[in-house]
Amino acid sequence: MIRGIYILNDTSLVYSKDYSESELTAELVRFLVSLSEFVKHVDIGEDIEHMDIGPWRLFYTKRDRFTFVALADKADDIAQINERLSQLVNVFMREFANLALTNQPLVGLDEKVDEIAVTMVKVAILGYAGVGKTTTLHLLRGETLPLIHDPTIGVSIKKLPEEVENANIVLWDLAGQSRFSILWAKMIANAQVVIIVTDSTLENVLRSKKLVSLVKEEVPDAKIIGIANKQDLPTALTAERVGQILGIPTYELVAIDISYRDRLIQIIRKAILEGKRESKSASGSSSSSASASQ
Amino acid sequence: MPAAVFILHLDEMQGFVVEKRFPSTFSLNERILNLVYYGHHEQPGQEVQLHNIDGRRIVTFGTQARPDWLACFVLSDETDFGPNKEVFAGMGRLMLELAAEDPKLVDVGEIVRRRQVIPAPSQEQRCAATFTSPSSTLVLERLEELGLERSARLAIWLRDEIHAQDVNLADAVRPLMDAEIVAVEMFQKTTEVVYLLADVFAYRAPPVEALRYAEENMPDVAEQYAQLVKEFFSPDPPAKGYNPTIPVDDPNSPIVEDRRTIAGLLTKSLLYTVIRYLRERPQTASEISQTSILPERIVNRSLWELETERVAARLDDGMWVLVTDPRIEVFMPEFVLPIVARRVSEKEIGAELGKRYLELLTEKWSESR
Ligand SMILES: Nc1nc2c(ncn2[C@@H]2O[C@H](COP(=O)(O)OP(=O)(O)OP(=O)(O)O)[C@@H](O)[C@H]2O)c(=O)[nH]1
Ligand SMILES: [Mg+2]
Repeated sequence: MIRGIYILNDTSLVYSKDYSESELTAELVRFLVSLSEFVKHVDIGEDIEHMDIGPWRLFYTKRDRFTFVALADKADDIAQINERLSQLVNVFMREFANLALTNQPLVGLDEKVDEIAVTMVKVAILGYAGVGKTTTLHLLRGETLPLIHDPTIGVSIKKLPEEVENANIVLWDLAGQSRFSILWAKMIANAQVVIIVTDSTLENVLRSKKLVSLVKEEVPDAKIIGIANKQDLPTALTAERVGQILGIPTYELVAIDISYRDRLIQIIRKAILEGKRESKSASGSSSSSASASQ
Repeated sequence: MPAAVFILHLDEMQGFVVEKRFPSTFSLNERILNLVYYGHHEQPGQEVQLHNIDGRRIVTFGTQARPDWLACFVLSDETDFGPNKEVFAGMGRLMLELAAEDPKLVDVGEIVRRRQVIPAPSQEQRCAATFTSPSSTLVLERLEELGLERSARLAIWLRDEIHAQDVNLADAVRPLMDAEIVAVEMFQKTTEVVYLLADVFAYRAPPVEALRYAEENMPDVAEQYAQLVKEFFSPDPPAKGYNPTIPVDDPNSPIVEDRRTIAGLLTKSLLYTVIRYLRERPQTASEISQTSILPERIVNRSLWELETERVAARLDDGMWVLVTDPRIEVFMPEFVLPIVARRVSEKEIGAELGKRYLELLTEKWSESR
């Protein structure tokens, strides 16, 4: 993932954004200044170059007086980071370069950078044992659906094969068995979206209210989605009813039916978009309480 | 010794990352990583643990300070856990300290081969830890005024003192208990009481052992070294030397502001390791690096930090010396006895409680220890 974006005008830093708290900031800034000096004297054209430092890979390029730097992981796809950095360069040169040259505030740049650089979204799937979380994970990944309950051990972490809203989706499928519940709170840390899966039986839905509280407590900024799974079974409560009980927007699902895949991805996409919008409007509008299913 | 070693890190985004493994051909799977990680967190208080996972015996080491990191040792058939428990803990401590700097710095194979360790925190480190937490320091200061106090009242006092609703007295008291500075007990099955058993004094001592070593074995550095130490502790007038015995309420006292610095240096394991080597004798960065197997980069950085704090200095020929030896010592808090006696006579606390306090103090400070 991209860990930081830095833009220098000559040797002064005009913009920086860190996506993971790294301790080397002061050191890094000094390094960036020397890098910027360096590229002033060495013609690298308009290409994007990269070099490795420690566990990171530093991507850089130059336009006019500006040096653009993206700090990413060595494990990242080079072509993908190149592509993002060049998007950033284009946006910056088009909309912000003149402001920066005249020392004016770069209003709106932060949002643009986020749009371009934020590459990972953690989606946690939470619910009691056997409700269909792992099945949902396989459904999302477009894999063959297992029909037996092979209980998850701990947590299973998998990427979604395609990007959603420009982000890599990392799915955290948490084990529902009670012996693994000790780390639920820890494992959902930093999730932008939490999907709470129920099997739509009254007993299970009532129990799952506890999970809703847990999520609100631990990751108050995350979007919470309820899933009323196993709608093919006769005992299933409707999604609307499940949503009323849980007090969160809830959607119906038959995780063993592949035709639900696109719908589910749309639901996640919507949650990511809403999450972004909410964090931007950062005004204190408190989260709306109980809302029923769509 | 272990058949294999790995360092496991749970990244909040990407999940389990095996930061290091030895031998490099050693294979792991998600199931093992999960069982190791969850297994370890089932007993959160225990730093070293033995697990039996799919027929393999795996020792895990992790600390509460860095709960997302584990050093794991897969035991070979002939290795026993019990007698080696401390060694595993020590190697794990070293690996995780280094990994926190940069996982690349950890040469797990070499650490295991040479059984290199960071020992469990010493008494002085445990004492130092009490000064790195502001609320522990406050609790200690309060007990210095009272001798003993009921937990409930101490909690209310602490809450008012730091203007916070959700203070956790147990968290503030734990480092003090670990360092055996306080004891916590139920009194007559109804009230929990915190007793002050020892008081703590942080200061800089002259580096006696290293000086003597230099005098006897290193004629070429001895003089310059002795001069440096003299400048700090007893410079020629009118400059005043360091005098830790000036009372704490005297504005010239070096103690109060320095206490936090000293504690900070002693609690950082890597720095502390370097201090321990310098306490023995003057040596170069690369000598320290070789004997401690800390990477030279870490040793250098530690030395520079020690230099800034006027603990170490570099002589002309690249030799490093300890100029002031940061120390923390405990002593018997006899000054609280009159206070406790007064509180008993004023019926603020019962005579039984006062008696119990005396018992605890005697137990701690009697000859047999
Ligand atoms: N009828 C029906 N069965 C389902 C549905 N979704 C999942 N299942 C079945 O429910 C069982 C449990 O599914 P899993 O996905 O393994 O359950 P889990 O929530 O991951 O369980 P743990 O890992 O133990 O927490 C499997 O036998 C699935 O085939 C569904 O929509 N309808
Ligand atoms: Mg599962």
